[in-house]
Amino acid sequence: METHSLLFSASKMAKRYPGTTALNAVELEVRPGEIVGLVGENGAGKSTLLKLIMGIEQPTEGAMAMRGEAYAPRTPIEANGMGVGMVFQEQSLIQNLTVGQNVFFGLEASYVRCGFLDKRRMYEDTRKILGEIGIDYIRPDKKVSNLDFATRQMVEIAKVFSVVTRRNAGGNLILLDEPTSVLNRSEVDNLFDNMRRMAAGGNSVIFVSHRLDEVLDVSDRIYVFKDGRNAALLDRKDANEAILYEKMVGKTVSGEYYKEDRQAVPGDEVLLEARNLGRRGFFGGVNLKLRRGEVVGVCGSIGSGKEDLCAVVCGDESYTAGELVVKGRVERFASPRQALKAGVLSIPKERREEGIIAEAPIYENIAMSNFRAFRRFGCVSARLERENARRRVDELSIRTPGINQSVGFLSGGNAQKVVFARILSSDADVLVLNHPTRGVDVGAKEEIYSLIRDITASGKGMILLGDTLDECIGLASRIIVMKDGLVTREFDAPAGAKPEQLEIVKYMV
Amino acid sequence: MDKQGYSSPIAREFAQEMARRNRIERIVGLAPVAILAFLVIVLSLVADGFFSLYNMQSVLSQLSIPLVMSMGLTFVILLGGTDLSGEGLGGFVGSIVVLMVLNTRTNLDWGLWAAVIGVAAGLMVGTISGFIHVYGKMPSFIVTYAMASVMAGFAVLSYRGQPAMSKYEFFITLARGRFLGIPYLTWTALVIFAISYVLQEHTRFGSYVFAIGDNERVAKNTGININRIKILVFAWSGLCIGVAGVLGAIRIGRGEVVIGTGTVFPAITAVVVGGTPLTGGKGGVVHSLIGALIVTVINNGLILLGVNTYYQAAIQGIIIITAVALSVRRGRKVVTK
Repeated sequence: METHSLLFSASKMAKRYPGTTALNAVELEVRPGEIVGLVGENGAGKSTLLKLIMGIEQPTEGAMAMRGEAYAPRTPIEANGMGVGMVFQEQSLIQNLTVGQNVFFGLEASYVRCGFLDKRRMYEDTRKILGEIGIDYIRPDKKVSNLDFATRQMVEIAKVFSVVTRRNAGGNLILLDEPTSVLNRSEVDNLFDNMRRMAAGGNSVIFVSHRLDEVLDVSDRIYVFKDGRNAALLDRKDANEAILYEKMVGKTVSGEYYKEDRQAVPGDEVLLEARNLGRRGFFGGVNLKLRRGEVVGVCGSIGSGKEDLCAVVCGDESYTAGELVVKGRVERFASPRQALKAGVLSIPKERREEGIIAEAPIYENIAMSNFRAFRRFGCVSARLERENARRRVDELSIRTPGINQSVGFLSGGNAQKVVFARILSSDADVLVLNHPTRGVDVGAKEEIYSLIRDITASGKGMILLGDTLDECIGLASRIIVMKDGLVTREFDAPAGAKPEQLEIVKYMV
Repeated sequence: MDKQGYSSPIAREFAQEMARRNRIERIVGLAPVAILAFLVIVLSLVADGFFSLYNMQSVLSQLSIPLVMSMGLTFVILLGGTDLSGEGLGGFVGSIVVLMVLNTRTNLDWGLWAAVIGVAAGLMVGTISGFIHVYGKMPSFIVTYAMASVMAGFAVLSYRGQPAMSKYEFFITLARGRFLGIPYLTWTALVIFAISYVLQEHTRFGSYVFAIGDNERVAKNTGININRIKILVFAWSGLCIGVAGVLGAIRIGRGEVVIGTGTVFPAITAVVVGGTPLTGGKGGVVHSLIGALIVTVINNGLILLGVNTYYQAAIQGIIIITAVALSVRRGRKVVTK
């Protein structure tokens, strides 16, 4: 094997979405038989790069090469054909088919005789493939729905492995996106053995994980991404967790950007309190107090339980342990509607699907969380709705031709401001902001930060899941850090004495 | 890290929760068999004459049409769709078949070819429904419901309002004859069941149907021609309806649109009660066989107990709502992690 030749390379890769740049001038090189680790904060561009490599999305700029030839897949199928496969974070196995049917899913052609599937031969070959990656204890004729999560993960890997190795015995590239989040230690070890075995066979692996110890354990070289750019490239022998942390996080952006001088001093009244709150299998033992005028930031990586905590607080899921107290009353919300009645309202993460009614005009969207306030003679009065909408559009400087405009036509930032207008028009005083600046351009971001300061100054409290760690630190007056479903640390973050990102990341990974 | 090697107690809880749900799922999956056994035992005790050879043969005979129809519907429902064309299409096929054998209205005497043509007509109409559903991007329930109406119209037009009576000897033999104590009609239905089982388990088509119902995007990303599979499913369902129409004509010996009347609902009930949820992706033809037995046994039992037919319809409605409600509850427990 030539040591200098590359299996895969990507150069000057960029991906821009309207208003945001997810990836900028990124370089990545993978040698044959190598395991490359890829680390970075949420939003650093790891997932975007994987999508480009798999052909799920197309790069705005840049070029890739596979085995020295130009490589520009337009679909995952094309990528598979070139020997590139990916194990997705959400599993893609068909639950009610057997292991063997899944491994050869879409590739059954060579097992069809007179229209019938020769299952026995297919299962024999499945057994071989499972054997190659050391998991031949799994029976090929077992239904996937009867397997536990870790075993499914292994089958998923076997499937991807069989897909990419169809054309070439060696020299394939396998992408693993956060494969270890639900595995226990021995399962992780098994996975790593498999990765090393694949690498020994001349295949290469790109391993994405937020668990630095695991990345350090298995990778030959480690790429660190930050804000959609390369931040560092380290050999394993030169790397340790401290160095990786340092490269992953940046300097905290100046307080001015986040209007830190306007950060409210929390009042005394506790709006919301979580006492030993838990949801079985997702998070547990969360204690948290939210006061008037306070922003509590919740930090953690994917799978840390922060999203689930957020879902419980805004009534989307129920809790199984502890209690949730809102304004002195123990609450057990059965729906977001009940949460709203108690004064808890969320700005959801997926704005298009959960935050706005794209077809409806601005004025209706703004009134939606509080139709009661716009009633006259028992019916909703469009005039009152419009008056309110006009006022809010001015107040929040929403750029729109008029209040009759459908929200779907607004830019991300302006659509998000409509969501804020809706929240301001409700009576809720506990707001759960789930990635409030996602997909919003820089200018509008600043306006939203300013808005958040105004809202807290008026005495409302907020639980914030920041789009970036930096944002969370900048906006929050207190920060709780979660890892594997538990709170690992709490920080005070008063204006002028914010904790460093590095401090916080330590407790996240 | 704890004894079992989980990085946190929450991760262990998650794994336990998954295992628990899997166990529940497996137990609930056996529920239809338990319900069938329970029904048979209870009816044997309370309904006079239920557990007799004569009545068992009658149950098997009543089973044939719902079973055949549910075989086609199973695949449609596995996809997450539905096929309501059975009432009209079954009636149409039954009507034209009688017009093509030796009968009181026409001079045709094509014998068994009439049945072949009838089944082919069902296949063709099913294919057309599939095309409209897939390429017209219209929900399958409305396409097939409209198709039922169209075909019911054609059925009446085919015999111009006056149904033909069959004088075909072989049909009479089929309607009354038995082999190994099981009526010929039921044998026909069992053959359709066997074919369905082979389709489901031993062809690519079967795997793809499950895949599309479970996760259409994965199926698409794997490069499967989803539209083709969907159209084939509706074609197969049309074929089954065609067979059911022929069986209906043989049974009543008259070519009339009412052959299809009231056949779709028991078939859908059979599929759902058997354990194929309306959202698709799991279940299958073996489940539907159990479901068809449950539906038939209940109807038979209600008749033996002398329950008013209007109550019977109401009970069937309650059964399907209960079955759907249970399957939805099961579906909601999906782990989204």
